[in-house]
Amino acid sequence: MAIMMPAADEAVLARRDAIVADLRAIVPGEGVIDSAAEMIPYESDGLTAYRQPPMVVVLPDTTEQVSRVLKYCQEQGIRVVPRGSGTSLSGGALPLRDAVLLGLGKFKRIREIDFDNRVVVTEPGVTNLAISQAVAHAGFYYAPDPSSQIACSIGGNVAENSGGVHCLKYGMTTNNVLGCEIVLMSGEILRIGGKSAENPGYDLMGIITGSEGLLGVITEITVRILQKPETARALMVGFAQVEAAGECVARIIGAGIIPGGMEMMDKPAIHAAEAFVHAGYPLDVEALLIIELDGPSIEVDELIGRVETIAKGCGSVTLQISTNETERNLFWAGRKAAFPAVGRISPDYLCMDGTIPRGALPKALTRIRELSEKYGLGVANVFHAGDGNLHPLILYDANKPGEMERAEAFGADILRCCVELGGVLTGEHGVGIEKRDLMPEMFSEVDLNQQQRLKCAFDADGLLNPGKVFPTLHRCAELGRMHVHGGKLAFPDIPRF
Amino acid sequence: MDTLRVRDAKDVEQVVRAAIANDQPLEIIGHGSKRQIGQPMATNAVLDLSALNAVVSYEPNELIITVQAGAPLADVKSLIDAKNQQFAFDPMDTAPLLGTAGIGTIGGMIGAGLAGSRRIKSGGARDHLLGAHAVSGFGDSFKTGGKVVKNVTGYDLSKLLAGSWGTLAVMTEVTLKVMPKPESERTLVLRGLDDIAANRAMTAALGSPFDVSGAAHLPASVFRPSGDALAALASPGQSVTLLRLEGIEVSAASRAASLTRLVAEFGAAEVLKDAVSTGVWDALRDVIPFAAGGALGAWPVWRIVCPPASGGALGRQLARETGGDVIYDWGGGLIWAAVPPRPDAQAATVRNLVEAAAGHATLIRASEEVRRHLDVFQPQAAGIAALAERVRQSFDPKEILNRGRMARGTPT
Repeated sequence: MAIMMPAADEAVLARRDAIVADLRAIVPGEGVIDSAAEMIPYESDGLTAYRQPPMVVVLPDTTEQVSRVLKYCQEQGIRVVPRGSGTSLSGGALPLRDAVLLGLGKFKRIREIDFDNRVVVTEPGVTNLAISQAVAHAGFYYAPDPSSQIACSIGGNVAENSGGVHCLKYGMTTNNVLGCEIVLMSGEILRIGGKSAENPGYDLMGIITGSEGLLGVITEITVRILQKPETARALMVGFAQVEAAGECVARIIGAGIIPGGMEMMDKPAIHAAEAFVHAGYPLDVEALLIIELDGPSIEVDELIGRVETIAKGCGSVTLQISTNETERNLFWAGRKAAFPAVGRISPDYLCMDGTIPRGALPKALTRIRELSEKYGLGVANVFHAGDGNLHPLILYDANKPGEMERAEAFGADILRCCVELGGVLTGEHGVGIEKRDLMPEMFSEVDLNQQQRLKCAFDADGLLNPGKVFPTLHRCAELGRMHVHGGKLAFPDIPRF
Repeated sequence: MDTLRVRDAKDVEQVVRAAIANDQPLEIIGHGSKRQIGQPMATNAVLDLSALNAVVSYEPNELIITVQAGAPLADVKSLIDAKNQQFAFDPMDTAPLLGTAGIGTIGGMIGAGLAGSRRIKSGGARDHLLGAHAVSGFGDSFKTGGKVVKNVTGYDLSKLLAGSWGTLAVMTEVTLKVMPKPESERTLVLRGLDDIAANRAMTAALGSPFDVSGAAHLPASVFRPSGDALAALASPGQSVTLLRLEGIEVSAASRAASLTRLVAEFGAAEVLKDAVSTGVWDALRDVIPFAAGGALGAWPVWRIVCPPASGGALGRQLARETGGDVIYDWGGGLIWAAVPPRPDAQAATVRNLVEAAAGHATLIRASEEVRRHLDVFQPQAAGIAALAERVRQSFDPKEILNRGRMARGTPT
């Protein structure tokens, strides 16, 4: 394992039997799992290259139980790793050998649907898609749509600030959640926000969203729901050069059009997808754009025409426009199946997740091609072109000695390149363990210390999900120390008035 | 009192470090347009950011702009307007309400986080702040977020900075999301609805697929003779309910027709177009009926946020029990209440009603004397208040920045 996790606390492990018994007293019945065989499903999340059985799995039913488990663990100095559906692609739910794995899978109830206030109050174990399904009869849906939406839990979406194909127009999770019930590591239960558009005081909901399970355990969430757009149509446009496709994206945005989705695939991704789903993708183009417009029919028809003109002006070599739902779904079929499609042509693949300024796309793709040659590993690129979120899929074979390490080094170089081009390490998958050690590429020690001080405000002993997000762990007392910068002179050298 | 006009982030670090060493709390200002909002502060020097006023980069095709925190909002708005773009959350101009001059700076816009009518569709300042450079109360420059619209790298500290009223860190440079301006707009005007019926009409409109970007209600009593865009809308003794649709011309027109049919049970709708419509919403966003120079200029003004579908009932009660006037925005989720002056700005009455409706109330306008003796911001449950204080201390343990602005009881 290339990533070092915090050293296990052997004193905790030595007390394992007593800890399991204590946890059973809090969560009775089958809610505590301690047999090696039954813990296997929990030893990994969506980042399957990393596996680690936890000390024990606890599956509470109620907020009260979550609170008591956390309070107990805090008092006993036991680490806790929270887990939703376990679909994280960055290792956010990877267990620790000496930690309790706290699964929220039994929190499966939608508590309230309030159409008048346009919100759903739900438990965290409900899947993303189930929320949309629960309100579909009234024409509503929950907008963020990560590609794992059939399986991923809304609690995990909040923890990771999940995105999806439609987030350029409709925002990420953080733009679509209003409130939560959260249990701190101390066991304290807090309610933040609710059905109002804004919360009083500091935006705690904003900081909890995307905190990757390091600040607290969420036991209830209030999300915004929207009315479904009347219709959606898509264009599928092929280009002979990536640059032309990039220019087309820029001109669409420049023309004031915000598509519901705007996706790009490069040639290897197009070929893999077409071989898998036979969507009728053109095979002789270097880049394929799928652009979806949604809204009232009259608006969509008009904008389809405008986008068509722009695409042709950028030298598109193929252009198809969906005329019905079957065609639209077919355009998307290849893109949506891109990951499994690539899985068919390679024994293993690593999915990266950097974001770059849209305009830097040609440079990024050139650099990725060079790196592909340097590392001797293939790569296919799919790209949320509208918001600059790049998903290179690095092809490798874990059974060949050294290939996984090479693939990881290749991936790290891609992310460094994203940062150099003015972008960031992760657009929607989270830092987790996967990008943890790259954080200094983007943030200075001062930046990271400020983030960790915030962590201390929620979890002073650093017991909740340690080893994730931050490459170096500091004690809270050390972080809180004020370094006196000398200078007794009041406000030297500054113009006064 | 010393006013220190910083020239760059290094200056800010120096000033904050000296302030820490000398325990001299700082008031952070841009143009000072919102200094009258908040608890009176216990500060004895002013850090003036107005010289940090550069536009660092503006890339319309990337939908982002990076500016220094002291950049005048008016200038930045005209810059992006020239490219047909806007801050979609429609930042409020507090000058008319407070009787001050100028719309202030970008830093003040974010620190206050006061969004306009499009909040219901496009979110608030917190949803548009993508990244920031700031100096914490440790005297250290740090950055958070990035310069791209999609980013989950590290904690999203930008969310905390938005709406923190300068109590966590001194922002020096920020990156904001910009969005295309709609090509056209339509506003449906319904007349004569009471607060409850208007709330129902707005709820119906916002629950429709017609992508309503503004839903507001002005009871008849708020219309007083004056020359502004809202007064022009008045007809004697009648309330006005407004529903806005924005987008490309054919779409706005078509949705206006559909929405007119949907709300037909509430009466026949008149339609306002483009510039006329824009003028009405600008005046509403800035709460012109309660302007400092108007008939209610001496009345304290509360800004109340609540679950939208219960806004009508709450506002009606507020008006009755305080003897004041109310204006509804955000489909009922935002209520502006001007109340007849009392030494406590009728805080007990307002907060009792608002809390019963699961809302929260901020006293946006009141004299310093009134603000000194009550909670300007909504008091929070003990656990949340304690967590918020720990969060504040994680940025500014010595309480150097805007000391006491958000929490009463800070020693002055």
